[in-house]
Amino acid sequence: MKRSHQETSVEEEAPSIEGSGCGGGDDNMDELLAVLGYKVRSSDMADVAQKLEQLEMVLSNDIGSSNNALNDTVHYNPSDLSGWAHSMLSELNYYPDLDPTRICDLRPIQDDDECCSSSNSNKRIRLGAWCDSVSSDSTRSVVLIEETGVRLVQALVACAEAVQHENLSLADALVKRVGTLAASQAGAMGKVATYFAEALARRIYRIHPSSAAIDPSFEEILQMNFYDSCPYLKFAHFTANQAILEAVTTSRGVHVIDLGLNQGMQWPALMQALALRPGGPPSFRLTGVGTLSNRDGIQELGWKLAQLAHAIGVEFEFSGLTTERLSDLEPDMFETRPDSETLVVNSVFELHPVLSQPGSIEKLLATVKAVKPSIVTVVEQEANHNGAVFLDRFNEALHYYSSLFDSLEDGVVIPSQDRVMSEIYLGRQILNVVAAEGIDRIERHETLSQWRKRMGSAGFDPVNLGSDAFKQASLLLALSGGGDGYRVEENDGSLMLAWQTKPLIAASAWKLAAELRR
Amino acid sequence: MAGGNEVNLNECKRIVPLNTWVLISNFKLAYKVLRRPDGSFNRYLAEFLDRKVPANTFPLDGVFSFDHVDSTTNLLTRIYQPASLLDLTRHGTLELTKPLSTTEIVPVLIFFHGGSFTHSSANSAIYDTFCRRLVTICGVVVVSVDYRRSPEHRYPCAYDDGWNALKWVKSRVWLQSGNDSNVYVYLAGDSSGGNIAHNVAVRATKEGVKVLGNILLHPMFGGQERTESEKSLDGKYFVTIQDRDWYWRAYLPEGEDRDHPACNPFGPRGQSLKGVNFPKSLVVVAGLDLVQDWQLAYVDGLKKNGLEVNLLYLKQATIGFYFLPNNDHFHCLMEELKKFVHPIEDSQSKSSPLLLTP
Repeated sequence: MKRSHQETSVEEEAPSIEGSGCGGGDDNMDELLAVLGYKVRSSDMADVAQKLEQLEMVLSNDIGSSNNALNDTVHYNPSDLSGWAHSMLSELNYYPDLDPTRICDLRPIQDDDECCSSSNSNKRIRLGAWCDSVSSDSTRSVVLIEETGVRLVQALVACAEAVQHENLSLADALVKRVGTLAASQAGAMGKVATYFAEALARRIYRIHPSSAAIDPSFEEILQMNFYDSCPYLKFAHFTANQAILEAVTTSRGVHVIDLGLNQGMQWPALMQALALRPGGPPSFRLTGVGTLSNRDGIQELGWKLAQLAHAIGVEFEFSGLTTERLSDLEPDMFETRPDSETLVVNSVFELHPVLSQPGSIEKLLATVKAVKPSIVTVVEQEANHNGAVFLDRFNEALHYYSSLFDSLEDGVVIPSQDRVMSEIYLGRQILNVVAAEGIDRIERHETLSQWRKRMGSAGFDPVNLGSDAFKQASLLLALSGGGDGYRVEENDGSLMLAWQTKPLIAASAWKLAAELRR
Repeated sequence: MAGGNEVNLNECKRIVPLNTWVLISNFKLAYKVLRRPDGSFNRYLAEFLDRKVPANTFPLDGVFSFDHVDSTTNLLTRIYQPASLLDLTRHGTLELTKPLSTTEIVPVLIFFHGGSFTHSSANSAIYDTFCRRLVTICGVVVVSVDYRRSPEHRYPCAYDDGWNALKWVKSRVWLQSGNDSNVYVYLAGDSSGGNIAHNVAVRATKEGVKVLGNILLHPMFGGQERTESEKSLDGKYFVTIQDRDWYWRAYLPEGEDRDHPACNPFGPRGQSLKGVNFPKSLVVVAGLDLVQDWQLAYVDGLKKNGLEVNLLYLKQATIGFYFLPNNDHFHCLMEELKKFVHPIEDSQSKSSPLLLTP
């Protein structure tokens, strides 16, 4: 069923409100500013203007030290102009006393969910061009210009189209053609095309990836290689750790539940950061969740982390939990100590596989909510590879993995062997997105915009990641030896890692929604 | 001192719509924080604060855009096209291998975003939105250039990037139009982008690359002398002399002053453009911009060199009036732009050399 691109256009300047009509104060965002990335309610405009005026005055009266203060302070969510201006005023200790009208304007500073997140995730407004470009409803096209191996991509997409229309004999002919063209295409495009061709072939011949099961230890090696060769996992771990550190600054004890322990590569850095905390480290307890096949590996990992903890002077405890499915987790499987510990739930690329079974994600998020974490860190691929229409998924994935492979190509420091292994690691994801279905299709990536809806429905509010995390992540990228094209982008309180201008990974943090915390 | 500022802020607020005032004041404030007194720039915070948007490879509101990175120069450009020109032969792919048109001329605007050589990017929301509006309202293809910025990259980096972008655009088959398969190029830019457009045009003229016209939207020029407009408008409408000086110090080679020809092209160190095949220019001046005397001097300079120039003087406009389409100046600008890039279709209402608006 062909979809015309003209049909998918959305009004640029009129926000379409979900659950229309019964608007009221929350929904009167200034449309013109919204398109430019700023969320200001029309009814708040005068107030925001006043704050900006106040800031202007403070800055011109005391330019030197104010400038320093504002450079050193952490900024959050610049889209929320009101919150941003307010926090800068607070930073500069500006609140004129004895002015009764001004006191009425003050928002309660301690309740930061009112101040900082003017967006209520349950009533998210679609803001036209700014948000819709990652909407799950529309198809993202692959753009072909003469430099990108046009005939190759044409053949790939034609093949995918044939598969979509169940014209398998045509698809078969085309996939062979793709193979030939890919072989003579240099660079990232050729490699990506080869993986997509293989995936299409498997789909055509119904050879599902699950029947080519992979050795878990090889899986491990692939992941560790991927971690070392390019910045994606490092960024994921680093940003999640930043959010955790910020949430536990005054905690006496920290308990992290890691929903995907794997090789535990995220935790040494966090432990070292905790060890260096001024005033001494908190105790650190890690509950790692892994798969049954890895039971011994988990215990060994726990032991190694304990040794590290001992060496750096951090009181440490470890427990391992194994489960076939994350949705099988129950709150009572976790021993929580709310009186002495701040609880963190961490998920790096662990949520999207849960989408392969209906109802599972809701159950998992309910479990997470039930253990009452102070913060939940989530990192996921920034892509919609879970659409209902195969061809849409295919196109999205082609675009996404082309960017990823491009970024690997650019990293001059990566020895070719490591790059090949990274490509295999990613190639397995491609196979799964394209050739698998049902429970076997676990690479069900969704965009942050989609995850925000899920988290909101499950009873979580966003926690903004700030300019310090942004800066440090940027520095990390510059030092990672990868190519020049990596960028960190701030998006409504979350941080994304982009290759050039294309966001690829999104890191976000969450807390229990206000009513649940009381 | 504080009292004086209050008066000015109130007057400024009366001149522009409130949401425009909020937008531009927000930039002014943020930029003030980012410019450190010692001349350094807080780039990380700048990138954190900048609102960016991705390209739309599916048409949104009649425009589609995509990004291209040149493999040799690493220069990123964002290309915007009207959806109507696309050959959507395949679901999911857009092929750009053929000319835009073989019958009519489709102007290609190479756009250099503003930001005083220091701020913003091609994918900044304010500029992405502006470029999209240019496409739909003026019927052009836009190529927005993500040039290297100061203080990390001083003169002449931005000009070199502009020149590379021009060469690249000129050599794309899929940007050609008309029945003689040419790429019909206009150079355009606001603030520092206008300055870049001028300088790229100078080089194009020298090297025989044809540019059909220059569009300079309150272009950033200056000089050592303090002009009347600088003195009388200092600090009144979002801009101060002090911040202009900071940006010139950040862009020009170290130790140079503002009479450097990049800053003051028709000043004491400027070069003559007499008798050269320099493109026609449309210069838009905002009447409340303190830089206007330099912009008017630029217009004079072009005239004295015998070059064709249209001046659009928008008396009550402040800088950045074109970011939001909520004022007459915006619409006036778009009308003039349309006429400038589609001269054949509009022989009735030829744009007059000098246009004033109340």
